[in-house]
Amino acid sequence: MSLLRVRDLHVSVDDKPILKGFDLTVQAGEVHALMGPNGSGKSTFANVLAGRPGYEITAGALTLDDTDLTCVSPEERAHRGVFLAFQYPIEIPGVSNMEFLKAAADAHAKHAGLDEPSAMEFIKQARAAASQLHFSADFLKRGVNEGFSGGEKKRNEILQMLLLKPRLAVLDETDSGLDIDALQVVANGINAYRARQNAVVLVTHYQRLLNYVVPDHVHVLIDGRIARSGDHTLALTLEDEGYGWLDG
Amino acid sequence: MAGSTVDRAAHTGPALVRRLKEIEPNGYAPWLDRGAYQAVIAQGLPDTRSEPWKYTNVNRWYDVALANHGHKPRRVHAPDGVRVVDFGDLRARQLVAAHRGKAFNLVDHPLAAVNGLLLGAGIALVVSKDTVVEQPVRIEDLGAAYQHILVIVEPGASITLIEEPATFVHRIVEGVVGTGGRLQHLRRQGAADSRECSLVAIRLDADTHYTLAQSSRGAELRRNDVLVTLAGARAQATISSAWRLQHREHLDNQITVHHVAPQGFSRQTYRGVVGDRARAVLNGRIHIASGAKGTDAALNTKNLLATAKAEVYAKPELEIYESDVKCSHGATVGTLDDAAVFFFRSRGLSEHDARALLVRGFLREAIDDAEGAASLGLAS
Repeated sequence: MSLLRVRDLHVSVDDKPILKGFDLTVQAGEVHALMGPNGSGKSTFANVLAGRPGYEITAGALTLDDTDLTCVSPEERAHRGVFLAFQYPIEIPGVSNMEFLKAAADAHAKHAGLDEPSAMEFIKQARAAASQLHFSADFLKRGVNEGFSGGEKKRNEILQMLLLKPRLAVLDETDSGLDIDALQVVANGINAYRARQNAVVLVTHYQRLLNYVVPDHVHVLIDGRIARSGDHTLALTLEDEGYGWLDG
Repeated sequence: MAGSTVDRAAHTGPALVRRLKEIEPNGYAPWLDRGAYQAVIAQGLPDTRSEPWKYTNVNRWYDVALANHGHKPRRVHAPDGVRVVDFGDLRARQLVAAHRGKAFNLVDHPLAAVNGLLLGAGIALVVSKDTVVEQPVRIEDLGAAYQHILVIVEPGASITLIEEPATFVHRIVEGVVGTGGRLQHLRRQGAADSRECSLVAIRLDADTHYTLAQSSRGAELRRNDVLVTLAGARAQATISSAWRLQHREHLDNQITVHHVAPQGFSRQTYRGVVGDRARAVLNGRIHIASGAKGTDAALNTKNLLATAKAEVYAKPELEIYESDVKCSHGATVGTLDDAAVFFFRSRGLSEHDARALLVRGFLREAIDDAEGAASLGLAS
């Protein structure tokens, strides 16, 4: 059984077709990199997988553990193990990171039929994850992404991933805008999460993240379809030669 | 038809003025001079065409102004260090006469004159010079339809006043803060089917601090006038208010910060959520008088409309008669950000919980103490 199966997926945004027959199969334990030029549909795939309103599936199949996802609410997808690290994380003043993370953890526990984690227990976990991602001690008290630098926002996405322990994490350009140190921290977080029972899809423009998180498969998306798939060396070729040689 | 015309006319300002002229004194604190109130009332009360009452039908308040509201027991909890004096106590006569009505102008606040005429419960809270009172004064109810709370903070003294949800027709909270004094003021207004108006009037001497944190649910008619005068140099006023309305509730906040002296500092922060067919009004005014050099004043109001039929009227007003000042304002009216709702849902929160958490966070930008948040129905 595949963790994720995407078959001939067609997706439109505002009636404009973006994905035009997209195929992808991800097995548990794998890391995939999804690359491609601007506008090729990478972020659209990430968002449609998470169930973002406004992304209309016009044809095709999208299954997680062989069950259909297309008509499932975003929160239900999260409960089933889908996680999207946002390309542009938003700021939510007034809601602290701690409050938000606890609410998310409680929602997951409730869905799984488990007791909510105790406040003490959860604070401990959250502090450990925060320190793993090099956040200072006051991080949990601050508003969600409020006044965060670009790098802090991206690290916060990885922190949420570590705490929610999804089965399939799609990281939408999490490496964009990171300096070398932050990239290393993010990569360490992804590697810490990487395990036999879960999978990661890295949406990225650049090879450099893949030096730290080596993917099992690399796919190139062009004009809404996978134009080429290969192993990690494909990313190196793209770095040298660009996307032009894949056209036509 | 003629009958209904007569009925409507019976509930207007002129009708109330006629009835107030004939009214017998109620016997409470008979030595209080009521002449000034009668004089203001005789000049007329506001009507629905008056600009400050544009969004609140004042006739609906006149409807209840003379109803028999009965008396309830007074519940005031004052810690050591605060002297509580009843206006009805003859010995308080001089103290009350010296301070009462000094922080506002009756002509600008004519309903306060109705309050003065019909006053049924008045207390003065006095904190002596240089006395810092850690425990708050908590006012649960004063028990009468017309109420006056006079807070006298002598120089260097400090006190916290908490107004818990209560019912009244009109309440005045008047504060005079002496040099170097501090007054922290928390107001909680519960959901009610009442029609009520209140006036908060604070006069700040030099080097004083006043903070007002007001959390309001709606009422059938609720009107809050707030006037803070920074009369002494380097006075500081921080006003924050959050409200959350539903059904057909109505809340009208008319708030003025008046900078008179130099180097004053004021901040006004408002956050409101309005649902169903409710209506919220926020008129926030910064008035900087000539001579108030070095003033630093800011006002910020954000409003969320939860339904298409909810109404928000948010108006910042600046009146500046001095050039050497810093002054800013901002006002927004909108709905919850869909991207934020989706973000929370993508982390497993139901749509309902996602919206509730966002509303909570939004209101907490103005009210962040636990009890204030709880009074808005925001569980922690």
